Amino acid sequence: MAEGFDIDHLAKLARLSLTAEEKALYSSQLNQILGHFQALANADLPATIDDARVVDEAALRSDEPGPVLGAEAVTRIAPASRDGQISVPRVVDDES
Amino acid sequence: MADALHTLSAAELGRRLAAGTLTSRALCEALIARHQAVNDKVGAFTHLDQADVLAQADASDARRKAGQGRGPLEGIPVAIKDNIAVKGQPLTCSSKMLAPLVSPYDSYVAERLRAAGAILYGRLNMDEFAMGSSTENSALRKTFNPWDLARIPGGSSGGSAAALAAGLVPLSLGSDTGGSIRQPASHCGVVGLKPTYGLISRFGLVAFASSLDQIGPMARSVEDCELLLNALASADARDMTCFGPSDRTLAAAGDAKKLRIGIPKGFLGKGVAPEVAAAVNAAVEFYRAQGCAISEVELPSADLAVPTYYVVATAEASSNLGRYDGVRYGHRSAVAGTPVEMMTASRSEGFGPEVKRRILLGTFVLSAGYADAYYVRALRARAKIRAEYLAALAGVDVLLTPTVPTPAFKVGEKASDPLQLYLEDIFTIPANLAGLPAISVPCGKSGHLPVGFHLVGAPLSEVKLLAAGRLFEAAHGYAHQQAAL
Repeated sequence: MAEGFDIDHLAKLARLSLTAEEKALYSSQLNQILGHFQALANADLPATIDDARVVDEAALRSDEPGPVLGAEAVTRIAPASRDGQISVPRVVDDES
Repeated sequence: MADALHTLSAAELGRRLAAGTLTSRALCEALIARHQAVNDKVGAFTHLDQADVLAQADASDARRKAGQGRGPLEGIPVAIKDNIAVKGQPLTCSSKMLAPLVSPYDSYVAERLRAAGAILYGRLNMDEFAMGSSTENSALRKTFNPWDLARIPGGSSGGSAAALAAGLVPLSLGSDTGGSIRQPASHCGVVGLKPTYGLISRFGLVAFASSLDQIGPMARSVEDCELLLNALASADARDMTCFGPSDRTLAAAGDAKKLRIGIPKGFLGKGVAPEVAAAVNAAVEFYRAQGCAISEVELPSADLAVPTYYVVATAEASSNLGRYDGVRYGHRSAVAGTPVEMMTASRSEGFGPEVKRRILLGTFVLSAGYADAYYVRALRARAKIRAEYLAALAGVDVLLTPTVPTPAFKVGEKASDPLQLYLEDIFTIPANLAGLPAISVPCGKSGHLPVGFHLVGAPLSEVKLLAAGRLFEAAHGYAHQQAAL
């Protein structure tokens, strides 16, 4: 069931950088865990899926503006900020 | 005061506070002294702001003196797992990813506790981002089982359970995605309740697996657990999975001596330690002697619960934890480069091994070519498990099993084998998959280690579970038990 498992591709998708040692460890452990998941492949299952709701009514709230944290509170917890805004590494080059 | 304050129940503390024979300041000072004497041994708390606690206590005493007391929790400390936001207190999820973060807002449950007059008392250790069953995955510190300091307290709410068993606080909050309240409660000899999915708002709970996560109360007795639950359960539009005011009527307790109790076939057999089976069987016989109808029930897909859970939970976790990119809050790597390089380095430095393992697993089960084989099949299995539980609960009031197959294991014993650790939750996971309420109640010892039994009920049957637990604890000596430290 786990053929095609590619730790490099997964790490790239998950935005994780893994050492060679981590790749070996996680590959081995994930293969073991996925082997345990084999029970799902063999089971006789219903066609319907479960959406996890206990009540049938969707508890949707009205789409109205509510209180927000505000720039001061948000930038206080940001890793880096300048002039009331969160700063990030340069996204676009100078040349346009 | 004849009794040491740290040994008393929240209900008794409330009576003394109401009678004027105790102040919240005196109570908090006693607990802070206990904290200074014991917390380094147990490691339950990761943070306690003593000045803030005493300021809250003084405010509570002033309210009471002015005749403005807010109810049974007025002046009583409640400690909070470190994935639940309290304004002005650290919110780290026991992760390097968030470690310096101070919450800028209150969670819904923190708002409710403040409205009830409770003291928001310190931050409790946990497995990083609630991923684990031993609290060994905390990046901040180790937590030990107060009954045996060489053993784990369970997890992920290990700090919440250990703090109670060590007499560090009378009440605590945990969160439960696959058993994270009930399993540590069992290992530490305390009571833990996972409410029906939707009963308590998760606004301000750091998300792990959103279709499974619930906040719940923990205490040294069923009575105290109910006291805390009553303060928390209310409608909140900020969590769209939370029941509205008209949907949340709890089933009446009824007469606990007339409960119909189902024992799932095979659950007391393979893999259950003999001492655990004996303690749980004794609980079954107690209920039978009280007049309860005991019957065996079939849950044929029980073996699918663990794989189903680990597919659903890791899939949701891989999505929920995508938000930790080093941009808006949390750890940002000093590695310079493109935004993607910065995000990748931040995540790789900030997350611990178990979180990375689950993100990778969740990413795989959702990836192109595999999602149908894993994630979609897990959702179908979840539907089957839920249907079987609801069918079983149509014929009985509660299902009774052990909470955990074995007593608390030694620190490090299962650290290199994640699959073995995942099997710790075999009895607790189905309640999360099916959205059902469940409680762990202490029922004995295996040697010197606590054992708990587990009751699962139909949606919104919390009061029934609590009544059944109270019936048991009134006849046994396990309520209010604390480890000698």
